[in-house]
Amino acid sequence: MSRWLRALAIPVAVVTAWELWAQIFGIPYETLSHPSAIVVSGWTALWDGTILTATLQTFSGALLGLFIGVMIGVVLGIPLGLFPAADAVVGPSLDALRPIPAVALLPLALLIFGFGVRMEALIVAIGCLWPVLLVTITAVRNIDARLLEIGRLLELPGSVRILRIVLPATGGRIFVGIRIAAGISLALAITVEIALNPNGLGYAMVLASQGLDPALLWAELLWVGIIGWAFNRLLLGAERRWLPATIGAVHA
Amino acid sequence: MHKHRLALRFGAALFAIGVVALWQLVAASGVFSKAYFTSPSQTVDALLALQARGELWQPLAGTCLRMAYGWALASVLGIAIGAALAQSDRLRDFVEPTLEFLRPLPASAIIPAAILFLGLTPQMAVAVIAFGSIWPVLLGSYNGFTRIDERIVEVARLHEMPAVAFACKIALPCALPDIFAGLRVNLAIALILAVVVEIQAGLTGLGFNIMIAQRLFRTPELYAGIVLLGAVGFITSRTLLFVERRLLRWRSLGH
Amino acid sequence: MQTSYALSGGGPIHEQIPLSTASATLASLQQPILRTRGVRVAIGHGQDRLVILDSMDIDVKPGEFLCIVGPSGCGKTTLLRLFAGLLLPTEGTVLFDGRPITGPARERAMVFQDYARALLPWRTVWANVALPYEREHVPHRERRDRAYALLERMGLKDFGDYYPGQLSGGMQQRVQIARCLAQEPRILLMDEPFGALDALTRQALQDEITRLAAERETTVVFITHDLEEAIYLGDRVIALGTKPGRIVATVDVRLVRPRHQLSTREDSQFLAHRHHLFGLLVGH
Repeated sequence: MSRWLRALAIPVAVVTAWELWAQIFGIPYETLSHPSAIVVSGWTALWDGTILTATLQTFSGALLGLFIGVMIGVVLGIPLGLFPAADAVVGPSLDALRPIPAVALLPLALLIFGFGVRMEALIVAIGCLWPVLLVTITAVRNIDARLLEIGRLLELPGSVRILRIVLPATGGRIFVGIRIAAGISLALAITVEIALNPNGLGYAMVLASQGLDPALLWAELLWVGIIGWAFNRLLLGAERRWLPATIGAVHA
Repeated sequence: MHKHRLALRFGAALFAIGVVALWQLVAASGVFSKAYFTSPSQTVDALLALQARGELWQPLAGTCLRMAYGWALASVLGIAIGAALAQSDRLRDFVEPTLEFLRPLPASAIIPAAILFLGLTPQMAVAVIAFGSIWPVLLGSYNGFTRIDERIVEVARLHEMPAVAFACKIALPCALPDIFAGLRVNLAIALILAVVVEIQAGLTGLGFNIMIAQRLFRTPELYAGIVLLGAVGFITSRTLLFVERRLLRWRSLGH
Repeated sequence: MQTSYALSGGGPIHEQIPLSTASATLASLQQPILRTRGVRVAIGHGQDRLVILDSMDIDVKPGEFLCIVGPSGCGKTTLLRLFAGLLLPTEGTVLFDGRPITGPARERAMVFQDYARALLPWRTVWANVALPYEREHVPHRERRDRAYALLERMGLKDFGDYYPGQLSGGMQQRVQIARCLAQEPRILLMDEPFGALDALTRQALQDEITRLAAERETTVVFITHDLEEAIYLGDRVIALGTKPGRIVATVDVRLVRPRHQLSTREDSQFLAHRHHLFGLLVGH
């Protein structure tokens, strides 16, 4: 059996069995729904733009937060990685802050910004900044000391040193951290929407849940899965295209 | 060198105190609105007040227990299913693509579905936490059990080791590092899900408390709740790390 | 063909173990402990079919130290795995004590070249060595004592509580050998066991394995690509040619035991064997 057939075997079997069960034995509408209804519901939602609008909202919150989180993570991480003394002094305080789950700050973000994209971006930024910070510190700390010496010997100004030597020398490791953070950004954005924010895909699922519309809910869940998978693939592809030399480090 | 390290430790303590002091000053100066910025002293007061009113331990226990049950359930199931899936080579081609697809799915996305199908009950909460946090440990277990070095498998065969002995003495220790990597992640997810579920479903717990504090504009209590959640996160992750270091002592030695 | 063990005056007692002429004769008249008959190992089908070993007929005598030498790719590891029971032949039979081999067995212990991968890294050294004892439900105390006895024999008495990852390559290989000895095997199968070690360690272990085998009267089948090692160690050397793997020559080693790294290797008989085998192997 070809690889594709094997990959699809289980999902196809589950979907087919489910559909047959529903058609033959019938399922009460409020509970589970069935594949054909889900497809119809999803298709409609796609066409009338509701899902796409929601996706856009989710992504705007996620990407904004990701950007902020990555910026802070890299900007803080580089000096902490270059100067172990600084890391020793600042590190323990950071370690104390890190266990606070980003979602714990949801009500606070709500107080500050009210509903909307800024509140979502704040939570996403906090969630994304930790992995990026840690990866940056480790990557910068592991730069070959000789490369840094070259920067000092040539008496390059600090900013040039960072742009031309430190960042390229970290290889793709920082990018791997960004890829991980990107996954977190999407998940956190949806989490915020499910908990509080009346925007985006998470909120759409809450509406479907409260509106007792399981078909739409499953369709949206499937859509979220597809989006997450596609987003991850996109980033992997970008990583491979632009940083081919670091493929070995990617899975380290 | 000893002096150097001592100086750094002192510096770290000084820095931490400095940050808290700065926080206190900024709060006192009123630069940020009292509506969303509380000082450290007010946070401590709120914590003590909660404790005095008897509103500290119950929510804390609620969140912790929920998280613990959900995490434990997810871990046991995840390890077992991962091990079972890793048994057969043929099964791999059928199963791996589905697992790869399900991996990026955000754990919290199942909450609306769970509420629809199971209602707003404590059981639903534990189910959500368990189901949502199962993936990292399932994948870790699967990876760990499929990546057993074939050389060690041959050694076991040469010793005519029966299947049960093989599973306990060889397969499990081999898979343990990957399993722990998964456990660390799913612990973090369990905490996040616990908080979100409490906010959504209004169950007794720290998540619910901070939500109420926000609605009633009791910002010091909100900060107190955040600190408590941070403490839960800290203690649970440290405990797991401690257990991991003891069980995997052999990894850090040698070479 | 008998190898006579000369007494080396004043040496440690385990170097003076004589193998009496009578028992040596008896050994050679006994049934071979391992035999292959018409064995062929091939993979793939039709046009892609690759024959790794072809028409191997080998008899291994009990108590002998048999070396199998050949270039890489000649199938010597495959042959050893057949003896171990990790692999079954495509055609032909492999017999142990006259009975066909259907799978691995504790009486046929195998020492791998990649010692780091063959030891359990999460167990201490003594716990690794004690692994074979666990099957017999030997109590903990006794397992530890027996493991430590073996470790002492291998010169690793002080390292019992260390983890394999903390030991050097040579020491790790000794641990693996100790574990194999704990099985109390009748045959020791060794797959280029010293190939990954430095020259000095290799020499020390060569002499040690010879002593151990003689002490316990264990049959050894030793695989190597190093011609000199094969001649130095073996009672008999089988040379394999490549593509497909088949026997090119069998040589009875006419060298006195115990052997010495310096003097034996300069012996004219040693050099004669070396020239003979070199010509045969290069020719194939």
